[in-house]
Amino acid sequence: MADTKSGRYASSSAAISPLVQGPENLECKNFQEYLRTRQTPETLEKFYHYPPICLAVFRELPEIARQFVIRILFIDQPVPQAVVSSWGAQKFAKEQAEATSCLSALNVWRVTAIPGGLAAWELSPTFKKSVRQALMGGGKPWPMTNTLDKDSKPRDIPFLDSYAMSRWRCVLHYMVGTGGRNGGSDAEAISPDAVRILLHANLMKRDERGGISITRQGFQFLLLDTRAQVWHFMLQYLETCEERGISLPECLSMLFQLSFATLGRDYSSEGMSNQMLTFLQHLREFGLVYQRKRKECRFYPTRLALNVTNKDAATATTAADEERMQERGYIVVETNYRVYAYTDSQLQVAVLGLFTELLYRFPNLVVGVLTRDAVRQALRGGITAEQIVSYLEQYAHPNMKLVESAIQSKSCLPPTVVDQIKLWEMERNRFTYTEGVVYNQFLSQNDFVTLRDYAQSINMLVWQNERTRTMVVQKNGHDDVKRYWKKYSK
Amino acid sequence: MGPPKKSKKDRSGSDKFAKKRRAEDDAYTQLVDDNDSMDNASESDGVPGAASKNAETNDENINTDEYGAKDYRAQMQLRPDHGNRPLWVAPNGHVFLESFSPVYKHAHDFLIAISEPVCRPEHIHEYKLTAYSLYAAVSVGLQTHDIVEYLKRLSKTSIPEGILEFIRLCTLSYGKVKLVLKHNKYFIESPHPEVLQKLLKDPVIQKCRLIRSEGEGEGDGFIQGTMDGKAITQFGTKLPPASDKPEDAGASTSSAAGAATAEGAVAIPDDITDFYEKIDKEEEDEDEANLKTVSFEVAQEKIEVIQKRCIEIEHPLLAEYDFRNDTNNPDINIDLKPAAVLRPYQEKSLRKMFGNGRARSGVIVLPCGAGKSLVGVTACCTVRKRALVLCNSGVSVEQWKQQFKMWSTADDSMICRFTSEAKDKPMGCGILVTTYSMITHTQKRSWEAEQTMRWLQEQEWGIMVLDEVHTIPAKMFRRVLTIVQSHCKLGLTATLLREDDKIADLNFLIGPKLYEANWLELQKKGFIARVQCAEVWCPMSPEFYREYLTTKTSKKMLLYVMNPSKFRSCQFLIKYHEQRGDKTIVFSDNVFALKHYAIKMNKPFIYGPTSQNERIQILQNFKFNSKVNTIFVSKVADTSFDLPEANVLIQISSHGGSRRQEAQRLGRILRAKKGAIAEEYNAFFYTLVSQDTMEMSYSRKRQRFLVNQGYSYKVITHLKGMDTEADLMYGTQEEQGQLLQLVLSASDLDCEDEKMPGEPGYRPGGSGTTRRPGALSSMSGGDDAIYYEHRRKNVGSVHPLFKKFRG
Amino acid sequence: MVNVMKGVLVECDPAMKQFLLHLDEKLALGRKFIIQDLDENHLFISTDIVEVLQARVDDLMDRISFPLHEKDA
Repeated sequence: MADTKSGRYASSSAAISPLVQGPENLECKNFQEYLRTRQTPETLEKFYHYPPICLAVFRELPEIARQFVIRILFIDQPVPQAVVSSWGAQKFAKEQAEATSCLSALNVWRVTAIPGGLAAWELSPTFKKSVRQALMGGGKPWPMTNTLDKDSKPRDIPFLDSYAMSRWRCVLHYMVGTGGRNGGSDAEAISPDAVRILLHANLMKRDERGGISITRQGFQFLLLDTRAQVWHFMLQYLETCEERGISLPECLSMLFQLSFATLGRDYSSEGMSNQMLTFLQHLREFGLVYQRKRKECRFYPTRLALNVTNKDAATATTAADEERMQERGYIVVETNYRVYAYTDSQLQVAVLGLFTELLYRFPNLVVGVLTRDAVRQALRGGITAEQIVSYLEQYAHPNMKLVESAIQSKSCLPPTVVDQIKLWEMERNRFTYTEGVVYNQFLSQNDFVTLRDYAQSINMLVWQNERTRTMVVQKNGHDDVKRYWKKYSK
Repeated sequence: MGPPKKSKKDRSGSDKFAKKRRAEDDAYTQLVDDNDSMDNASESDGVPGAASKNAETNDENINTDEYGAKDYRAQMQLRPDHGNRPLWVAPNGHVFLESFSPVYKHAHDFLIAISEPVCRPEHIHEYKLTAYSLYAAVSVGLQTHDIVEYLKRLSKTSIPEGILEFIRLCTLSYGKVKLVLKHNKYFIESPHPEVLQKLLKDPVIQKCRLIRSEGEGEGDGFIQGTMDGKAITQFGTKLPPASDKPEDAGASTSSAAGAATAEGAVAIPDDITDFYEKIDKEEEDEDEANLKTVSFEVAQEKIEVIQKRCIEIEHPLLAEYDFRNDTNNPDINIDLKPAAVLRPYQEKSLRKMFGNGRARSGVIVLPCGAGKSLVGVTACCTVRKRALVLCNSGVSVEQWKQQFKMWSTADDSMICRFTSEAKDKPMGCGILVTTYSMITHTQKRSWEAEQTMRWLQEQEWGIMVLDEVHTIPAKMFRRVLTIVQSHCKLGLTATLLREDDKIADLNFLIGPKLYEANWLELQKKGFIARVQCAEVWCPMSPEFYREYLTTKTSKKMLLYVMNPSKFRSCQFLIKYHEQRGDKTIVFSDNVFALKHYAIKMNKPFIYGPTSQNERIQILQNFKFNSKVNTIFVSKVADTSFDLPEANVLIQISSHGGSRRQEAQRLGRILRAKKGAIAEEYNAFFYTLVSQDTMEMSYSRKRQRFLVNQGYSYKVITHLKGMDTEADLMYGTQEEQGQLLQLVLSASDLDCEDEKMPGEPGYRPGGSGTTRRPGALSSMSGGDDAIYYEHRRKNVGSVHPLFKKFRG
Repeated sequence: MVNVMKGVLVECDPAMKQFLLHLDEKLALGRKFIIQDLDENHLFISTDIVEVLQARVDDLMDRISFPLHEKDA
């Protein structure tokens, strides 16, 4: 959902209308983006004191960047940039450039001069030390040690999975307003801390009457898969943890330690600081760890914790595990746009209600229909056609997968329904608006070409026609172009 | 898509199409559905009051949840073994059935008997209990108690009280009394003595009773009897070999699919299977239970009086014809040919009709191309009394005659056509085929026609077959009933569009709906073609759109039909399918466009003014001449004649939002093709719509019925390969400009749809003469070769146009 | 010299452009709003009309999609 459109739409500053610049949507960042956009070089430096964080950063670097780090990890002098760039084939210059800028942006390395005036790369000493430690051991022991007696009642993976999901669903249920009320099985209130995170993340907001209700970003959040939900939520948690007196780098480090843990094994919290014990309790609430009792030292990380980083790095799961983590498919989508959902869960009904016109509620079934109005409503709310389709696919009833057309194609949804949802989205995108400034009535072709080429060179040209000597420049490029024109016409 | 709450607004829009006049031949065929402009006092005649009851209103006070859904949870208690039961019955009469349930077959047979299908796509089917459907249920022998009991057993939840009440209300008095013609005497018969007693308390009915001997009228004096006759397992005289097998095979495939989905072996609750067996038996072998009946005789001349009175007192008489014991009317010597093999659903529908050894009147609903005429022919061969077949056009009369010759032993001497063109001598024939308008029109007839009419009116027909029964306005139908005396009536149709009350009333005039096939199932089993439906979006050229936005309403239509990119798409598709060796029909309601497209592309065309002879000639060419692979037709071809060869249909202009027209047109290409199963799709149905015009909306509206039958329309926003096709016309700005000028200078008349005889604005003589370009001279013979197998050279299994969504 | 005007560049398909021209010509939005007709896919229009305009486009789309109230087209 991150804005992937060209900068020309995103960068126009003062919005004239939500049509020209859409209302705020849920922004999901991966770990790297998080580090790059939310943290100053100083905090990054603080982070790099923690080997688990460094390991996680290292793990998520682009392939080439990882190569670079490994090659200079044990070299104690700066390495000339020319040498570094000679390591890759010219063909992959672009990838190399990307890797280079990534390492710089993350403050993993920095430019330095070596005698003779050559520019060189030098790894951040903190980062270097931590990665070396992570790879070769040494330093302080990690707080999560594994020196417990055997658990007399060990918890197996299926148990942990179902525990984790039921905890996590509490949060989701709370969001759609069913937590604590009319006692569904998972319905349980969540802690004030969790509520604060939801508010902070803008997933929920206080309404006029002092109650709390879900926001449009909240609904978008509900359509994410569980892994993405947990990651986004934890990032928001991290942003608020300093407020409650917990150290951000320490939390992050612990989070990554958990992600390196082994599923189904128990760990001890002995020796953890009070802050970290509080953090552990929060993780317990959200289902990232299982702990029998609050005071008990023994805890088990769950799959939610193991998958907490990005998708690719997540531990490989078997289909059966996947099945257990997923809620069983419960949605039937028909070629006549009917939707039948086998559910009595308020959460599932609420999500379905986002883009479906619901007709009937039976004890174990909801009958609805995908209408243009309902889908448009959802699109207007910032949900994309892609999200609707993938949600329906993700929770498709097992029978949907047995249909002939589903076997032949990759989607188990009726193709016409998928097409239609996309067509409804396209219908809304028949116009694109760009705020800008039109330049016309140039006296000479030369003037036109010069100014156009300038606008082009600063990436501000959005439309031009040589014959009519007309060009349109982005609004925020106008000042530059004007200045250039004045200078030129003197 | 949604539940039917749309009928009101549908109606007002179409009034203007709804007048009727009679002409000699081609009956006015009502193409606009939802049409009911013939409201007048006589409309409610012959329809009992309970028929107006509606379960839909049961839930007016129901709560809605926060999403606006009707919340029925309080009224439906989930049963512990709900997983093994296939349905939900909502308080508003809507019933939802899991098609993947292991007991699907049981539930389906039952639901089709007691309710109307609303939609039947892949997984979950929706039905609706209506007064009519319940009437139909009791008339095929189901009892109130059975309906309630079985519904309870099939349901996942408790049945809402209001529904139980509704079922009782609609079934208690219906279907209890029959009018039976036996040994040439009319009897009012019932298994329920108390009902007959009630009837006889009515003074009007009393007067109709015929008491032959003294003492008979004392006490209740009913004639005691048991129902005789055996359930008919054969139709005609030909024994269908092992008739049950194909059906079972079909059933097992569907249940196998169901079983595969459930975890391991699924427990089917015993109460469902037990009861199913019971119902199944009752339905088909009702008499073998030796049902005790009582009856009294009525005077023949009072039949109409008593029928009317019984409806008034909410006991509509079911007409049953004990044809085997009718010695008054001579048998006709007609049997099915050995080659006539009934398909399982054809047989099933006939079993509903002849279930207890007598002939019930009613309507059988089968998709076009699924073999309705064989059902009609078989019914005639079963009754073996004088038969009257009514259809709605001259061409159709010819085709029925051929059908009789193809499937039965009837020869030319037995079959007689009564049309303004045919010169057959009808007197004394066994089978008379004619049109509705032929017998109902009030204009002056020729002397011969007058004679024939007199003869026809004097006859006691054994069976009357009413083809395309949904197309006849109720009023015309009532007129038919006053003219023709027949012992039983069989209505045949592809689409009974349900929210039209007037069509539902036909149920009481003809009889209940006896059977309705599931399109998707027939398609899966290869009985009808697998059709890929597509809506092709043709962008309006800027010049045309500009005019469209500014011009007055009547011309808008011509602008979107003549849109150059639509023309090009049409041409492209025709070329594409001609190369594949397909046979294509192009439909246009607008005659201006029809002629322009056809002449420009040099293809033959048929429309209103085209003479009968010329029509037949063009159709023969299309059928047999390998050089004539595409024809253009106006809406005269919607119902009036069969085009069994066609497998591609392109619609360039159509009649507003008519769902019925859409279904009828699809029917033109549904006849199963050879090698049907092998290909993913073997027929193609394109609708070309001009983007950003009202046509888009009409198109969607038209599709609703078929979409509810499980069809899905692929939207094609871009025809692959069209950009590179050089030979398409109207490619240049200049040509498009000329086309625009042509459209702009067209008269108002040209902007209208073709008017059929009987429609307002119809001008006899038509607008000009027909031109027939195309290679008509190279007509190849084989007039009698009905089974001409058309070989296609190049049959790709996947249609590349459908491979990609927007390039 | 050169002439400079602020506004919004609209990009759309040719048919939709005709629709905007039509609205402009008929003063359907109360006034003229097209500053310059650029080419078959582009128009330059007044900034403050965008919202009203989009509402009109939505209207059109509503009308041509079913279900809706059928006006005699």
